[in-house]
Amino acid sequence: MQWAWLIPVFCFAAAPVIVIFGKFLPTKGAFLSILAIAGGFVVFWFVFGSWLDADAATKGCFTSANTGMLSCDYERSWFNAGVIGAVGSVSLHWGILIDPLTIAMLGLVTFVALMVQIYSMAYMMGDPRFGWYFAVHSLFAASMLTLVLADNFLLLYVAWELVGICSYLLIGFWHERPAAREAAKKAFIVTRIGDVGLLVGILLIWRDVGSFSMLDAFEAVRTGAMSEGVATASAILLFLGAMGKSAQVPFHVWLPDAMEGPTPVSALIHAATMVIAGVYLVARAFPLFEAYDAVPLLIVAIVGLTTALMAATIALVSTDLKRILAYSTISHLGLMMLSLGAFGYTAAIFHLMAHGFSKALLFLGAGSVLHSTEFQETGEMGGLRKVMPLTAIVFSIGALSLGGIPVLAGFWSKDEILVAVNDNRNAAFIILTLFTALLSALYMGRAMFLVFFGELKDQNSHVHDAPLAMAIPMALLGVLALGFGFITFNWPGSFNGLGDFVFFGHAEEFHFEVWLGAVSIVLAVAAFMFAYLAYAKRSISMEATRSRFSGVLKVIENKYYFDEVYQWVVDKVVLVFSRAVAFFDRAIVNDIIVNGPADITRKFGIALRLHVTGHVYTYTLAMALGTVGLGIFVWVRSV
Amino acid sequence: MVDLVWFQLLSAALFVIGLYGVMARRSAVLIVMSIELMLNAVNINLIAAASHMEGTGSFANFDGQLIAIFIITVAAAEVGLALAIILRMFRNRSTVNVDEIDLMKW
Repeated sequence: MQWAWLIPVFCFAAAPVIVIFGKFLPTKGAFLSILAIAGGFVVFWFVFGSWLDADAATKGCFTSANTGMLSCDYERSWFNAGVIGAVGSVSLHWGILIDPLTIAMLGLVTFVALMVQIYSMAYMMGDPRFGWYFAVHSLFAASMLTLVLADNFLLLYVAWELVGICSYLLIGFWHERPAAREAAKKAFIVTRIGDVGLLVGILLIWRDVGSFSMLDAFEAVRTGAMSEGVATASAILLFLGAMGKSAQVPFHVWLPDAMEGPTPVSALIHAATMVIAGVYLVARAFPLFEAYDAVPLLIVAIVGLTTALMAATIALVSTDLKRILAYSTISHLGLMMLSLGAFGYTAAIFHLMAHGFSKALLFLGAGSVLHSTEFQETGEMGGLRKVMPLTAIVFSIGALSLGGIPVLAGFWSKDEILVAVNDNRNAAFIILTLFTALLSALYMGRAMFLVFFGELKDQNSHVHDAPLAMAIPMALLGVLALGFGFITFNWPGSFNGLGDFVFFGHAEEFHFEVWLGAVSIVLAVAAFMFAYLAYAKRSISMEATRSRFSGVLKVIENKYYFDEVYQWVVDKVVLVFSRAVAFFDRAIVNDIIVNGPADITRKFGIALRLHVTGHVYTYTLAMALGTVGLGIFVWVRSV
Repeated sequence: MVDLVWFQLLSAALFVIGLYGVMARRSAVLIVMSIELMLNAVNINLIAAASHMEGTGSFANFDGQLIAIFIITVAAAEVGLALAIILRMFRNRSTVNVDEIDLMKW
């Protein structure tokens, strides 16, 4: 288990090798990237296996007093500032923390990244920057793996920023297109706003605890050494970072624009690397959030619910296939946050994984569609199941899974969230969550039926199905999206369900609230039926509804004017303030304080240099007069 | 014996004439000559004082004569150097007018 750090190191090593030697290698070095992540996936199983064998007596392992899970912590000194042990000295560590949360994330990240990279081999074929794509992909996966392994906040922050820069590079991968450049910058800047909160939160914890170690911080919270104010404030600040990365309102604006990147990148960002980092952070720092009165968790729940609801409504009216999926991701990230906010720790991680597999599948399916048809607008598609059956099947599996159709992965995880919300939050929350679930089924159904059902257009008659390298990852992910949900049950034998593996405080039995399950099944099935009639059969006309709700629709279609508000704030507040500061800097600081003394000295020098005539007799005269003056002085003194 | 003050007046007159020459002349050669005049004014002063105060006070050991001889030696060397400089100056600038040689200013 000590060797878990090898998982990211493989990928970290692959990236520079591909950049430097890529052009001399077959497939421009892409195979190295795939080998690295595959190696990581193999090591993950060894880590998983040794964790199962480990107990509290194993080296580095202990049962965490906070989470109740068996955790293993291995750290190594990085560097020390000041004398070790002395007051004011800082010692920093590299360290890995392995607990079920980390293991779950490692499995998800390595598997999805592996699938996406294999898929990309076919999807990106012929791109002029093929090698660079895989190098950044490797670095991206490596950063995310470091992030989930980190046992201290500082290392986590480093990995967090690396994830940010990699997403910037990949979203702006086709930087010849202005939209891609803008989207990359937007993603980077918007998440940076949250990152400031994260950094301040980390420093606040460090100031209070005197260590960057997460375990020290959680221990301080548990024993009460960290006061309620500090715990609450740092939790909220950390959540600010999580909001930026996980695209929660009002920082969600970057994610839909991030669709400018290559589609497999979207799959990676949405399923495995970028956006789930926020959810992971909240889960990782759960002891901070849950301490004292758990005020931060209420904020998390409210932000999550708002995000889920708002993004679901936008997904319902969007016409761009990738944007529908992007808003769907935002909505489901909101649900994960809501679940954490409702103490549904297991449910959130379960949904994170189920959603990860389903959403990776959906994006790879969408990528396959875009690859063949070269359209992104759903209006240009329709009836594609006739020409690309495999893509249609796997996309439908993903859509049904996220829509919450029983026995698929998404149904079970969403059900767990509903149970958690029902148990720990009030009626308004559960009603709105159910409504979000309904919307979720509706927009997934809409996307699925608009693209794959109905009449096949003539322009798409030449379309072919995905090549093998794209089909295999989709099929594997499809199997997971179908069957992953079953790990939540108590199976006969030693495995007692996911709730016995990843949990907070105490192991959770799988339980199924019959009325909630029934309501969610009815809503999901009804939504898919409605979507089928409205978008595939076209027997229900949406025109009347559209005209009746035209006002509301306008607001939703403009994405609640978030971009406009940001634009206004930047134009009217940030730029005006910046100009004032710039004026102060130029007029006062630069012209008066800095250039002022220099100017005075210069003018003085110009006046003073006139006495240097260059004529010998001037100097002689001065010398003679000086001597006479000196003589008079001495004479007067002596008298 | 001629009173010491006459020697001193002669010395002062020669010195002031020399100073005037240094300041008023434009030719470098004449300036060097004026400097020689000033040096010799000092010599006269020293010799006169030494011979008048021989055997008394601080002038007991022929200090004045010694310094005068020393000054003559240095002046000879100085003239050689000055004339060499003036020669180079004339070669480079085709003039020995010091008004035209004012590079040592801003």
